Amino acid sequence: MLFRFTGQLSFGQFAVRTLIAVAYAIIFAPVVMIVMTSFFAQEIVSFPPSGLSLKWYANALSKPEFLRGLVTSFQVALLATAIGVPLGTAAALAIVRGEFRGRQALSSFLLAPLAVPGVVAGSGLYMFYVLAEDLLDRDIKATTEGLVAAHTLLAIPWTVRLVVASLQGLDRAAEEAAANLGASPFTVFRRITLPMMRSGIVAAAMFSFIQSFENLDLSMLLVGPGRITLPVAMLNYLEFRIDPTLAAVATVQIALVGLLMVITDRFVKLSRVV
Amino acid sequence: MALLVVPACLLVLALLIGPMILMFRISLNQFSPTQLMVQALSPDNYIKAATDPYYQQIILATLGIALLCTLLTLILAFPAAYWLGRMESRWKSLVVIATLFPLLVGNVVRSAGWMALFARDGLVNTSLLKLGVISAPLEIMYTTKAVIIGIIAVVLPYMILTLSAVIESIPRDLEYAAANLGASGARVFWRVILPLSGPGVAAGSILVFVLCMNTYATAVLLGGPRFKMMAPAVYDQFVRGNNWPMGAALAFMLLAVTMAFTVFGSVAFARKYRTG
Amino acid sequence: MAQLTLEKLTKRFGTSIGVESLDLSVNEGELVALLGPSGCGKTTTLRMVAGFLPPTSGRVLFDREDVTQLPAYKRATGMVFQSYALFPHMSAADNVGFGLEMRGLNAAQRKTKIDEALKLVRLSHLADRLPRQLSGGQQQRVALARALVINPRIFLLDEPLSNLDAKLRAEVRLEIRALQQRLGLTTLMVTHDREEALTMADRLVVMDGGRVRQIGTPQQLYDSPVDAFVADFVGRCNILSGRRANEREFRTTGGLLLPTDVASSERDDADAFALRPERITVVAGETGEVRGRVQAITYMGAQTEYVVALGDETLVAVRPTPDAGEPLAALKPHDAVSLQWDRKVPRLVPQTSK
Ligand SMILES: Nc1ncnc2c1ncn2[C@@H]1O[C@H](COP(=O)(O)OP(=O)(O)O)[C@@H](O)[C@H]1O
Ligand SMILES: [Mg+2]
Repeated sequence: MLFRFTGQLSFGQFAVRTLIAVAYAIIFAPVVMIVMTSFFAQEIVSFPPSGLSLKWYANALSKPEFLRGLVTSFQVALLATAIGVPLGTAAALAIVRGEFRGRQALSSFLLAPLAVPGVVAGSGLYMFYVLAEDLLDRDIKATTEGLVAAHTLLAIPWTVRLVVASLQGLDRAAEEAAANLGASPFTVFRRITLPMMRSGIVAAAMFSFIQSFENLDLSMLLVGPGRITLPVAMLNYLEFRIDPTLAAVATVQIALVGLLMVITDRFVKLSRVV
Repeated sequence: MALLVVPACLLVLALLIGPMILMFRISLNQFSPTQLMVQALSPDNYIKAATDPYYQQIILATLGIALLCTLLTLILAFPAAYWLGRMESRWKSLVVIATLFPLLVGNVVRSAGWMALFARDGLVNTSLLKLGVISAPLEIMYTTKAVIIGIIAVVLPYMILTLSAVIESIPRDLEYAAANLGASGARVFWRVILPLSGPGVAAGSILVFVLCMNTYATAVLLGGPRFKMMAPAVYDQFVRGNNWPMGAALAFMLLAVTMAFTVFGSVAFARKYRTG
Repeated sequence: MAQLTLEKLTKRFGTSIGVESLDLSVNEGELVALLGPSGCGKTTTLRMVAGFLPPTSGRVLFDREDVTQLPAYKRATGMVFQSYALFPHMSAADNVGFGLEMRGLNAAQRKTKIDEALKLVRLSHLADRLPRQLSGGQQQRVALARALVINPRIFLLDEPLSNLDAKLRAEVRLEIRALQQRLGLTTLMVTHDREEALTMADRLVVMDGGRVRQIGTPQQLYDSPVDAFVADFVGRCNILSGRRANEREFRTTGGLLLPTDVASSERDDADAFALRPERITVVAGETGEVRGRVQAITYMGAQTEYVVALGDETLVAVRPTPDAGEPLAALKPHDAVSLQWDRKVPRLVPQTSK
């Protein structure tokens, strides 16, 4: 690969290409496998398939745990994004444009939830919720509210990171020019600053939604009967078996994530955001 | 202006910092099978985690697997990262998104994919049988091997994206200069590219090591019920054992290791290459 | 040192042309500069000589040896990069020693040669510094030493001075030229700076759009450009389009008649009149053949520039700044002047030679 020349491939170049192929095979194999399996006709996952079928999708829909999981995950992800992204955006704006001390520390503080392992944060919240339930005498664990609160911990740091990045790359001069031309501070914000943050906010919304939707570690201990997110429902199912019905559910999640990425990429170049 | 950060900070304070302090406090309590939790102020749970062979083995296995996976991931990711970092065509953004995509699909889904591949009559076994490499199906599921492959698949994109960002910033002319001075491809790699990728290698390795340490779904699904790593062990303490103090202590240890590495990483190297 | 020969060297990027059918030979010890506007294929040519880029067709020869298929690391060319491309993790001495190490020299042998090379560029005292601890000029000299220490067969310079400030540039220019002549280096240099090319090179290759326009000594290119592009690129030049009127005059499209000697034009398709500003004499008053009015006078220190309107056309003349009291010193805009030149000096050339 280095100094690829007109001559034939050297051993080193061959090894390098093989490693690249292996790396991407490992990355894609499980995803491709799940999508394929969901269309296989037979019940037991095996090769070669005896035929192709869509019946597992119908079967998945008939299983209440998956349907409810899908609805719960969707609700939670939507609400966590709706709460976390505005809060994170406000904080990012203050961190980049504000003139007070300790902004760097604040930014690290708001990014901290990303650094805490999901299982650890989830355990802490679990104990916190249980003790708070005793104090307040109402349900928190296994409620949508409890899950949404936990998932804002995913939305806020992602939003802060992405919006801060989008703001830092921008020139302050445009805002100053607008003010110089007679725009009030609110107008400057609405006409100049907000459009400049747009790509960051769109990306933040996508990441927040997806991170919440596919989250397992943080949510595991916070779900309960009737309030189970899709990844937890899948995990519970998978502890007993892997079958095309589950593959169908997983494929729905894959398609949803893919769709969101494609839509987001139309607004902001994802390859430049990450 | 400063007021705008208050709501977000309060949320993080209430939902992360508060519970972490609570957790630390609980980790100093004691467990009794009848009363569940007894108020105390003792480091017993930590001592037990460090000395009891059961926990010792979990901790050592977790560290070992994390270390091995980090090393393998580094070796596997470097060529791909170089390829991506040096790519100039319009395909580049597509490859970046394709690398990112499996990452966002989630670990449960990907573990399920491996389960389908590794099953007794899954693709791996049937292909190998057909090719005549093996004569009886391999038992891949519920082995350490399966977990390691599953973990590598999870962390590879992080490593590739982190490394490729650093490699991209190494001027191409340095490679040409080295070749001009007589260095073959391999020597250009060892003498120029690798040393200059140092910060990326360190940042990527730390990130990946931490992610490996915290593996949950992959360990549970591919390792089976008897396979133990730290994160599943923490979960078990709460769900199966109802032992909050021990669970809290294990969780806190996991947090401490993670934080130590992360803080060290972010102090030593620029953080901007972190992708998730 | 070797002789460098390029035969029909061509590089296409997809359908677009990088370099088209370039023929050139650089003799032993000669410095040839590739000169042309940005994007004309200079760097592409140099990279094919160094072996970084495989040609689409054509050959590269060092002496009589065909090196077209030889990988870069076996070519033994010494290249100074525009960006210097110093290894940031190695000291100046280690940078210089890298090529020696690749050639299998042991530490002691390397040390002698490194010391010698650093002394050559007067950097012995900074041997242990990292590149980022050196100034731009010092970095450039490390790059020079690094390329020279391996006794390259061909010496390659890619815009070697473009990252230096103006004052340093003039100095380094002379220094490199002196070094090149003393060591007898066969050198191919790339530049878009005509002054650099004219002062340093034995011969120039003027390129445009991947093709060679003219090859020659600085003098030949300056005084006898083959077309208007070369005339303009090699130095400031008045270029007026039109046709020759008779053996002794050129008629511009504006109808102006300018004295010339058609014998000085070797080409029949000439449709432009090229005359360098410093070849024009300005005389106050309406006395000569070519009369006009001063439009602007710009003082430039030792020289003064006169823009003179002749009907619809303008000509620019550059003269030594006159002393106070000379007739020209009193000249003001709108004054009548006449312009004079030796008939044999203007070139009648085609606008383009394609
Ligand atoms: N890697 C490449 N891919 C496509 N086109 C290229 C590439 N490198 C150079 N070119 C094109 O070839 C032409 C010559 O480029 P170059 O040799 O760099 O010009 P110069 O050095 O004279 O400024 C330019 O039009 C440039 O756009
Ligand atoms: Mg160039």
